[in-house]
Amino acid sequence: MSRHSTLSASGRSLSPASHRVFLVPLALTLSLAAVSVAPRVQGHATLTRSFWAAVLVLLIWQVVLFLYCRRTSARRSFQVVLRPQHYLQAMVQGAVFVYWGWYWQPVFDMAWLLVAQLMFAYAFDLLLSWTRRNSYVLGFGPFPIIFSTNLFLWFRDDWFYLQFLMVAVGFMGKEYVRWHRDGKLTHIFNPSAFSLGLFSLVLIATNTTDLTWGEAIATTLVRAPSIYLFLFLVGLVVMYFFSITLVAGSAALVLFGLSALYSAVTGVPYFIDSEIPAAVFLGLHLLVTDPSTSPRTPPGKLVFGALYGLGVFGLYSFLGAVGAPTFYDKLLCVPLLNLSVQRIDQAVGFFRAPSAVNRHQLDRASGRTNLGCMALWVLCFSVMATMGRTDGKHTGDSLPFWEQACADGRRNACERLLSIESVYCDDNSGWACNELGGHYTVGTLVTPEPELAVAYFSRACELRFQAACVNLLEPGRFAKANPKTLDLRLLLRERKRNLMEMPEHELYGRACEHDWAFACNRAPSADRP
Amino acid sequence: MTPNDSTRRSTSLAGLAVLTVLVLVVTVWMSFQSQPSRPTPPVDSVGVPSDLTGFRSDAWFLPDDELLGFVKIPAGPFLMGSDATVDRLAFENERWSDDQPQGLVDLPTFYIGRYEVTVAQFAAFVTATGFRVDAQTLQGPPDGPVTAVSWPDALAYCRWLDTTLKESPQTPARLREFLLEAHGRNPRVGLPTEAEWEKAARGTDGRIYPWGNDPNRNRANYAGLGRTPVGSFDCPECAFGLADMSGNAWEWTRSPYQPYPYDTLDDRAHLDADSLWVMRGGSYADSEQNVRAAIRGGGDPGVRRPFMGFRVVISGF
Repeated sequence: MSRHSTLSASGRSLSPASHRVFLVPLALTLSLAAVSVAPRVQGHATLTRSFWAAVLVLLIWQVVLFLYCRRTSARRSFQVVLRPQHYLQAMVQGAVFVYWGWYWQPVFDMAWLLVAQLMFAYAFDLLLSWTRRNSYVLGFGPFPIIFSTNLFLWFRDDWFYLQFLMVAVGFMGKEYVRWHRDGKLTHIFNPSAFSLGLFSLVLIATNTTDLTWGEAIATTLVRAPSIYLFLFLVGLVVMYFFSITLVAGSAALVLFGLSALYSAVTGVPYFIDSEIPAAVFLGLHLLVTDPSTSPRTPPGKLVFGALYGLGVFGLYSFLGAVGAPTFYDKLLCVPLLNLSVQRIDQAVGFFRAPSAVNRHQLDRASGRTNLGCMALWVLCFSVMATMGRTDGKHTGDSLPFWEQACADGRRNACERLLSIESVYCDDNSGWACNELGGHYTVGTLVTPEPELAVAYFSRACELRFQAACVNLLEPGRFAKANPKTLDLRLLLRERKRNLMEMPEHELYGRACEHDWAFACNRAPSADRP
Repeated sequence: MTPNDSTRRSTSLAGLAVLTVLVLVVTVWMSFQSQPSRPTPPVDSVGVPSDLTGFRSDAWFLPDDELLGFVKIPAGPFLMGSDATVDRLAFENERWSDDQPQGLVDLPTFYIGRYEVTVAQFAAFVTATGFRVDAQTLQGPPDGPVTAVSWPDALAYCRWLDTTLKESPQTPARLREFLLEAHGRNPRVGLPTEAEWEKAARGTDGRIYPWGNDPNRNRANYAGLGRTPVGSFDCPECAFGLADMSGNAWEWTRSPYQPYPYDTLDDRAHLDADSLWVMRGGSYADSEQNVRAAIRGGGDPGVRRPFMGFRVVISGF
């Protein structure tokens, strides 16, 4: 049986005197102001100003609303309703934050900002509701919206006011962009996916991704060991209670399947260093699975999830082709899928505006189907994990693999090689910067750009990579050298933390496993004691 | 339609309008936020005057003479390295080999800057190219040596000056003549090799300091407190009339730090080694031992220190 139907919302209505009810948004706003004096916020001028701007907007809004209510004798109230899809979702998302933050400090550094967004979200949502109607449903609703937004995108301190705006846009989308579905007027878009999708588009269009932590967020999830297993386990909780196994499972299987097919045909992995990027795996469990904005019927859910998988797969290539950061793949297709929910339900032919009785039967059937699907999903994941397709070493982690694939002319391999080297160059690998300089000097992979080559050589030289310094002395010539020990500590991290503590002999052993031939001479041999 | 519906509908439309405007405003705003501004200070903020005595403001603040401060060092051999029996302050890394204390090195003609590259000259480069520099690089008097430059920073200046001198009509005719008409050779502005530097510093008579064999605090800025404007110390005895070859700021060379004997082909050896590049001459903060003409320091190419600068040469004739 579907837990969705049995876990009912508990609620009670509170209608204090009209003017006293305004103490709630005031308290939230003052709490936000109080958070702004936290050292984390005070340490950055723009961040502090962002907080004060948010506080000011909320204060002005509630004063205007208060005066309006007093003038017109209108009453405002709120009703406390605790919905399991909100608090359970929030608990699962919170668990992801804690586990991820344990291995990537910026997440914990973000804690105060997360609290502030929650306060802002509650106050904003409440005022928005009271601007349009008399009552507000107070529960845990803002939690999954804020958590889910922040699991994928947050703005850097210098632009944090945009984070408040992104939250506001999410709630406005929920309030204003609505349709009739299932006999009810309801929001079309998953609020967090709506704001994430819109802001992703704006960030891509304005080429301002570096104002956000987006790229880092997408790549640091894997620093937490066994993150796929962790996401799988917490995903089971969501699947059990909200019958979304078909959505998440079909999305995952489509992605795994397409990825494997691509790899079999081209000889190189599709997602560079994983079968499904961890952030996508997170998205298909916690972003696309909002029960309110996904199909109700099992076939609808199946198609919805499969379309998400296809969408992510296609967008990954499309974004790469237009030179945009590929991590937006999991965000951009959700609003489009939300828009197509009714059509999907109609297309699969099961949706006939069920009566309350039919609905109950549907939910029971859906619950049984869900349990069956969960069993199947557990089996599929176990097989994939056993085959090393989730956590663990991946073919695409090896740079020599990409060098060879590029030399063999395999599809997209040279572009991927450049992209991987760029990541490591940004990570301060002198070797990677020198290789990039070489590509822009020699021009076999890219159009020669002497100035860019010099910039890369300069960076590599400042990182004490001797060959790069020599390359600076003789423009047009390219001297290569093997990665140094420090480079290997970066190049071999397999998407995880840099290997600064790893003993040198282990490091060279791993380098040898990654097919760095020069390292095999320095690695401990298997037959050596 | 009830009045309530009508009101709800109009507030929905207003809300959608606000939402649309909000997104558009954010888009426009973000399009102006594309990159953090470059940390290069404008040249005015580093206090470069419109006129600097002894330097040509119309020629990138290079020295005001017909070769813009380049001094000819004639072709020929000189003694490189230190003989510890003569120079008691010599370090072990200045010894030529196990068999001999010094080596004879024959160099073709080259031209070297009379002064270290100044703050004003480097600021002209930064202004012309938008080159990103460290906050402290352009601090100090405009006629003082530029410091806090990394080895690639120094090379970047050399590349720019090379192109500029070859292409600009501001370049004096005689200088451009030998830069361009080199009979199949390709003379270039660059950093000196350590052999070029040492020959320019000590001449061909093997002296220990540029002015002779004894330390003399009236001839160079060393064991002091800070940088001084280039050429502040008169040194009529100094080889080739060059200034500040001892002290003021250590000077980058284009030679990798390798044990002697010196070999011009050493550049491409030991590419797997840690990168260190030779710096010469000592600085205002050094003692008499470190400002000798044969002193050899090894500098990490990425560091920017307030006592490390450079001077340029034209070589390759």
